[in-house]
Amino acid sequence: MENNPLSPHIQIYKWHISSLVSITTRITGIINIIVISLLCLWIFSLLLGEETYKSVNYFLNSFFGKFFVVGVIWSFSFQMLSEIRHIIMDLGYGFDLKTTKITGSIVIIGSFILTILIYLIGRNLI
Amino acid sequence: MKSVTKKWLFLKISSLILIPLMLWFILNFVSIYDNDYQSVISFLNSKTSKFLVSIFLIFSYFFSALSISEVFEDYIRDENIKNAANKALNLFAIVFPLFTIIILFNLN
Repeated sequence: MENNPLSPHIQIYKWHISSLVSITTRITGIINIIVISLLCLWIFSLLLGEETYKSVNYFLNSFFGKFFVVGVIWSFSFQMLSEIRHIIMDLGYGFDLKTTKITGSIVIIGSFILTILIYLIGRNLI
Repeated sequence: MKSVTKKWLFLKISSLILIPLMLWFILNFVSIYDNDYQSVISFLNSKTSKFLVSIFLIFSYFFSALSISEVFEDYIRDENIKNAANKALNLFAIVFPLFTIIILFNLN
């Protein structure tokens, strides 16, 4: 009994779209707070002066920096869409199996589409 | 009202407030992340940016502290470890954004 897994039993249940969205929401939630903390350090680097900021800027302009930025956009996009889904479900809609699969798919696919849109709008490309 | 109900309500209210703030923040971050020092400073020095970044940080850490404590609840069996983890999380969620907001209002 003592070694039984705690809830939610992700090691036992068969994976569905809803469980994938749920666990990804938790993971992106943790990633987001780490990212926001890094962004706080980015603001802190501004206070330390131009030279410190330049080293952070050098990373953000590198290939890995751009990969980081795109990853951050995706993580934020996923979290936003997933929270909208949660709020809709809290209002009592979309609980049947077919709808949860559809809304779960919208969150997953929509997060990639939203990532592209945010990047293009943010960079003034559209 | 029960404390768990309050917690759930705070989670929902903060997530509702956070959605537009996240969108505003990420759009602006994407547009300025590779800018030079002066451009970023002038962006963060506007009253709107200071206000919205501060609100974004407060709600982000508040929401994260509540949702990560749910993860602790689900995966940490030992009550003492769980309490210590929650205290550390709450302390971090207060000190870190507060420190950043003070810096933000002292940028020139």
